[in-house]
Amino acid sequence: MHTNPTDYAHPEALVDTDWLEQHLNDKDLRIVESNEDILLYDTGHIPGAVHIDWRADLQDQVVRDYIDPKKFAELCERNGIGPETTCIFYGDKANWWACYALWAFRLFGHKNVKILNGGRDKWKAENRPMTREVPSYPSTEYPVPARRFDQEIRAFADEALAQSKAKKPLIDVRSPGEYKGEITHMAEYPQEGVLRGGHIPGAKSVPWKTATKDDNTFKSAPELAKIYFEGAGVNPEVDTVVYCRIGERSSHTWFVLTYLLGLENVRNYDGSWTEWGNKVGAPIEKGS
Amino acid sequence: MYPPKLQNIIELFETLPEVERRETLVNYAESAPKQEPRPNEKFDLEDERKDEECADKVGVYLQVDGEGRAHLRMTLGPEVQTLTRAMTSILCKGLDGATPQEILDLPSDFVTRIVGAELVRVRSQTTYYVLTRIKGICKVYLDRQRAAA
Repeated sequence: MHTNPTDYAHPEALVDTDWLEQHLNDKDLRIVESNEDILLYDTGHIPGAVHIDWRADLQDQVVRDYIDPKKFAELCERNGIGPETTCIFYGDKANWWACYALWAFRLFGHKNVKILNGGRDKWKAENRPMTREVPSYPSTEYPVPARRFDQEIRAFADEALAQSKAKKPLIDVRSPGEYKGEITHMAEYPQEGVLRGGHIPGAKSVPWKTATKDDNTFKSAPELAKIYFEGAGVNPEVDTVVYCRIGERSSHTWFVLTYLLGLENVRNYDGSWTEWGNKVGAPIEKGS
Repeated sequence: MYPPKLQNIIELFETLPEVERRETLVNYAESAPKQEPRPNEKFDLEDERKDEECADKVGVYLQVDGEGRAHLRMTLGPEVQTLTRAMTSILCKGLDGATPQEILDLPSDFVTRIVGAELVRVRSQTTYYVLTRIKGICKVYLDRQRAAA
């Protein structure tokens, strides 16, 4: 399904813009847009794409957590997604939220998931078709998943702490300034309510952007291997935890490690710095 | 409580169902380029800069006419989010003709009445940024007027 000449561990997890434009009407596909800019889909999107909102659709509206399996099944049904449908995710911000949505779909065990390499910006830069027409698909029957795969691909604060204490790979994908504790929010973003700056002790700084090229597509597998295996001490034999501020940038890195480098034991600590930096007693390191 | 033009916009949004609210916001966002300075327009104050809390450069241009009424123009960099673009159009239109002091005194609670609870997000806080910048330029204008008096 991919057309990228790479040697990724799971090249089938990526499609490129050419391929997608030729397969817009494939019946077994559902294109899913997920953005940070909450009105961006409304301004125009890839024809046939549905919109899944990271907060309104994927998160519980009261508890800081994800929706339950029943709500996930309902979300899929109303978007015409069946259990075998291949979902191709794309979005703004170099696919941060696309990767986040993909990761959330994996939390519920949805198997066929892919990322549009380069995301919305690349599609638009190439003047490919966009529409404002919101598609409507016949409702599907999506069996309620038996469980959420939190244990496999999601880390909680106590697990991040255990990872730190065991000196196992812990990757902080935020900007260097956030990692060092010089700032408590991303540059260009509003403060999101964090009391302390710094990083989880032992975490290595590998900003998410290290994995991408200027056009937001992913770097080659050898380049990625050098960054994460040689540069950050990630080891396929040992489990890895990634984190950022709220879990979206680290979903991007989780995708890279899991699908492009083929690691089978990567967990995303989605509580991330907005939890850790506020958590009473959580140990913090500052500086580089 | 609000300048009349802004009051009308608020009342319009409060009648809209969610889908139409989104459509109207997108329409306002797309009209943001119309708020840019026109050739040969002169301003009392110009403030174009890139701040950390906004994704791209934002310019605010203030002209105060002979009756003391403010007229605003704005420029937005390409990375500025859709909701912020919408708020730019809304504020340039809604505050046109208000005095700088009225703008400075404006409570910000109208933002949620326009945007709606559904679209208010942590990362949409930059929506308030446009209002902050407009108030900022009005404050500088008033401070200078007072200093010159």
